[in-house]
Order: sequence, then structure tokens, then C-alpha cells
Amino acid sequence: MIRQRGDRVSAVVLAAPLLIFLSTLVVWPIYLGIKTSLSRDLLSEFEITPAGLDNFRTILAASDFWLALRFTILFAIVVTIVEGLLGFALALVFDRKFPGKRTLFSMVLIPIMIAPSLMAVMYRLILNENIGIIPGFLQKFGLDISIFDKRYVFFTLVALDAIQYTSFAFLLVYAALQNIPQQIYESAAIDGARYRQVIWRITLPILKPALAIIAMLRLIDSFRTFDTIYILTGGGPGTSTQTIGIYIYKTAFITGDFGLASAASVTLVLLLAPLMPKIIKQFRLDIK
Amino acid sequence: MKRNWWATIVAALFAFFFMLPLLGAIYTSFRTDNAIASGPFVWEFDSGFTHYKNAMGAAGYDFESFFRNSILISTGTVILTTIISLPAAYSIVRLGFGGAWLLRIALSLRILPAVFFIIPFYKLFTNLAIVDSVRGLILANTFVNLTLALLIFSSTIKDLPYEIEEAAHVDGAGVFRTLTSIVFPLMGPGLAAVGVLTFIFSWSDYLFAVVLSSSNATPVTVGAANFVTSYGVRWGDISAAVTLSVLPPLIFATLAQKYLVKGLSSGAIKG
Repeated sequence: MIRQRGDRVSAVVLAAPLLIFLSTLVVWPIYLGIKTSLSRDLLSEFEITPAGLDNFRTILAASDFWLALRFTILFAIVVTIVEGLLGFALALVFDRKFPGKRTLFSMVLIPIMIAPSLMAVMYRLILNENIGIIPGFLQKFGLDISIFDKRYVFFTLVALDAIQYTSFAFLLVYAALQNIPQQIYESAAIDGARYRQVIWRITLPILKPALAIIAMLRLIDSFRTFDTIYILTGGGPGTSTQTIGIYIYKTAFITGDFGLASAASVTLVLLLAPLMPKIIKQFRLDIK
Repeated sequence: MKRNWWATIVAALFAFFFMLPLLGAIYTSFRTDNAIASGPFVWEFDSGFTHYKNAMGAAGYDFESFFRNSILISTGTVILTTIISLPAAYSIVRLGFGGAWLLRIALSLRILPAVFFIIPFYKLFTNLAIVDSVRGLILANTFVNLTLALLIFSSTIKDLPYEIEEAAHVDGAGVFRTLTSIVFPLMGPGLAAVGVLTFIFSWSDYLFAVVLSSSNATPVTVGAANFVTSYGVRWGDISAAVTLSVLPPLIFATLAQKYLVKGLSSGAIKG
């Protein structure tokens, strides 16, 4: 919607801060990341030397990398399903009038406002073997299990992730539900449709595009999981709960191999790249 | 009206589980060290509020400076994000700059894993000598929040009646004048949404903070996590520190809940 020729200049001037920011903090870092992935760049050595594709050869052969990737994908899919279902169910509960709705609505949004890392510190507090209320509670029922044991740790992490992120899924589904015109429900009621039929035949089909975006957002975000798991388990026991984020962080800042860690990052982006256009298409980015 | 008490009960159950960690921290923070050591269900009220006093400086932790850093980083990020993305959104939507592809680039940032950027940022910030500085973390967090801000601002501007701007133009107002005195005052809801979400997300950042700060610029997220490892047995003090750390975004977001809901749903669904 260009109004006159002079606007062209104004348009550039107004967008200039964004363009400067994108080039220094996005384009340049991407170049740096790729360059580092092609270098021998160790924290312990002063000299940085070109290394060709050495780092990529190492990464493709590193079982830790693939294990981390597998764990990340599995974790992302499981939490997306669990949180999607719980969030959807909760949104259906909230899609009606009931006593205390306003207060409870504010309360279920609280996890959105809490930093995942602070949540993780609180988890450590309530899950601590000696002083935590959860183990204390389990012991009262004679269940003396260590929830971070290799056998249970995956379920524990999924449950903790659900406590933090179900609210996001809930909020987005709830907002989408509010967009469905009330008359559709009314005419369904006149036709004598049961609640279950309404959900399956009306609500779900209308919500489908919104649900796809919500699931994708949760998938993308859970793919980046770092804070909570890093603080709770550090990726352990062993490397069994190491996400790809934790793997890259540890390789760079604990092992001190920037080159290898960058190669892992680049590989990760290349693996995700084919999905990107599809994801972007889901958002209707029309500017009119 | 039919009273749906069952819905109240289900919603309350969800709320209880969502709030359990915070309730646990608050509960522990008000118990005496003796009670904490004796078991999870021993109640003895700490009438001196020792843990809160310790967290706020009495025990020599750096918690005060973590808290100050978090406030500075979050506020700074809100301001910088707004300055960069509001004019850009106007330029894209109303002046046709770059068109949808610019938004598409911004959106691909949302999809790129943030972890890709930790090493380049570390190198770049070391060269610019802004590692371990509040300024550096403001830049990193602006990077994180830019996409959502652009999406929210563009959808807010799209919804403004164009006739007002046209009238201003006919009256001889230039683009900048129109933006500052016509559009900006109408952007209230969009500004509130970007403000509250950017504040929460930059307060929550851990990944960039752990990489780009070592002591001077450490925010509460990294501070609290280190707290657990370095003072592992002082659970009372940790609980008080965490409770205090959670409060600012919690209070802000609860007051601005309407905008939080609007912003999250418009940024995610409408795009």
C-alpha cells in the first residue's frame, strides 16, 4: 500500500533498525557459526585453523550426537501429544460458565509466567529425597522409589514438562475455541446432537488448522528443551536424558570444542531445514 | 444458570498441579531450618523470616545483584525490541516494505534452534567486549523476542482503521508524524502485549545467560540454578530466593493478563 514516492525513503528509514539488527545479530552469526564448524577451534588452543569437513565427519560418527537427537525427537513428540491432549481437555472445560472461572483461569496461566529454570529449581526442592514433599508423600503410601532412576526418568521429565507447558497449549486452544460462532452450537443443539458428536463433528474439524499450528509450536519449542533438563539431571543418568541443546552446550563450553559443537548445530539446522517452508506456510502471513 | 461444579473441580485440580512447585517453594521458605531438616511435613513457622532476610543480603549471597540484573535486562529488552520492531512493522504493513517475505524471515528465526546461536554470539560478543554485560544480554534477548513482537505489531497495525491515517495524510502529515501522533497512541493493546510477553521471556532466559554471563551480568535464572549446586543444603534460603525471583513477571503478567492472552494467541494463530 504505497502512498507516494517519498514514502519509499520513509519505509527504508523505519525498517533500518530491524535490518541493521538482523544483519549483525543474525546474518553475521550464521556466517560465524558455519565458519567455526569448518575450523579446528578448541578452547585449549589459541590458534584457530581451517579443518575442512573434519568436524562433520566426527559428528556423523559420534553416537552421543545421534542418541541426543533421538532423545530430543522422542521427548518432543511425547510432550507435544501429552500437552496437546491435556490442554485441549482443559480448554473444553473452560469453554463454559462455572463458579470461580475467572480466578481459576488466572491460576492455570501461572506456569507461563514462571521461568523454566526457576521451575526446575522448585522441582528439585519438592522432589528432593530428604526434604521434598513428593517423595515424602510417596513414602507415606509405601512407595519408596527414586523418580530420577533410569527406569522412570523419562516419565518424570514428561510429567514435569507437562506441568510447565500444558498452559501454553491450553491458552492457544482456548483462544481458538472463542472464535467459533455460538450459533453453530445452537443449531447443533436444535438438531439434537450429543456433546460427543458436537466435539467430533463440529469443534475438531473447525479447530484443525489452529491445532496444527499449536502442535507445531509446541514441537518446535520442546525441540529446544534445555533449561529444565539441564538443571534437573544435567543430561543423566549417564547421557540418557541429554537433549541436543545440552549436547551442543556441553561440547562447546565444557569439553571446549567449538568447532565440533558448531558442526553439530549446523547439522541440526540442515536436518530441520526441509520442514521449515511447510511450517512457515501454516502461518497465514498475508500483510493485507 | 446450571451450576457446573464438576468443571470447577477439574479446573481446580489442574491449577493445583500447575502451582504445586511454587506452593512447595513458598511453604519451605516460611519454615524454620529445623523443621526443613526434620522432614517434609514438619511445620514450624519461621517468625523471623530468616530465609527472606538471608536471600535479600543478610547471608552475603549475590542474589541482590542477580535481581537487579534481571530487572535491567528485561526492561531493556522490552524497550529495544519495541524500538526495533514497531517502526519496522509499520513499514512492512502500511508502506509495503519488504512485504511478507520479511515476516517470513523473521518467522524462520522462530523455528531455528536458539542453541545454534550460542557459539557465534559468544564469539561476536567477546570481540565486541560485551560478554558478561547487561547490554550484551539485552541484545541476545531482543534477538529471541523480535519475531513475536513483529507478528503482534503487524497484526495490531493491520487492524487499525486506515481512514484515520489517510485523513492525517490529506491534512499534510508526513509518515513520521502519522506514526508518532496517530498510530502510536492507538497501539496501546499491542504495546501492552509485546511488553508483557517480552518481559516474561527475557526474565525466563537461561540459555543465553548461562553462556554470555559469568558474574557481573548474571540474572536470577542462572543465579538460582547455581544456588542449588553451591548451597545445596540451604533449602530455606533457596526457596525464599526462588519465590522472590518468580514474583516480578508473575505480578506484571497477572495485571496484564488480558494482553498476555491476546498477544500469545495472535502471535501464534493469526500471524
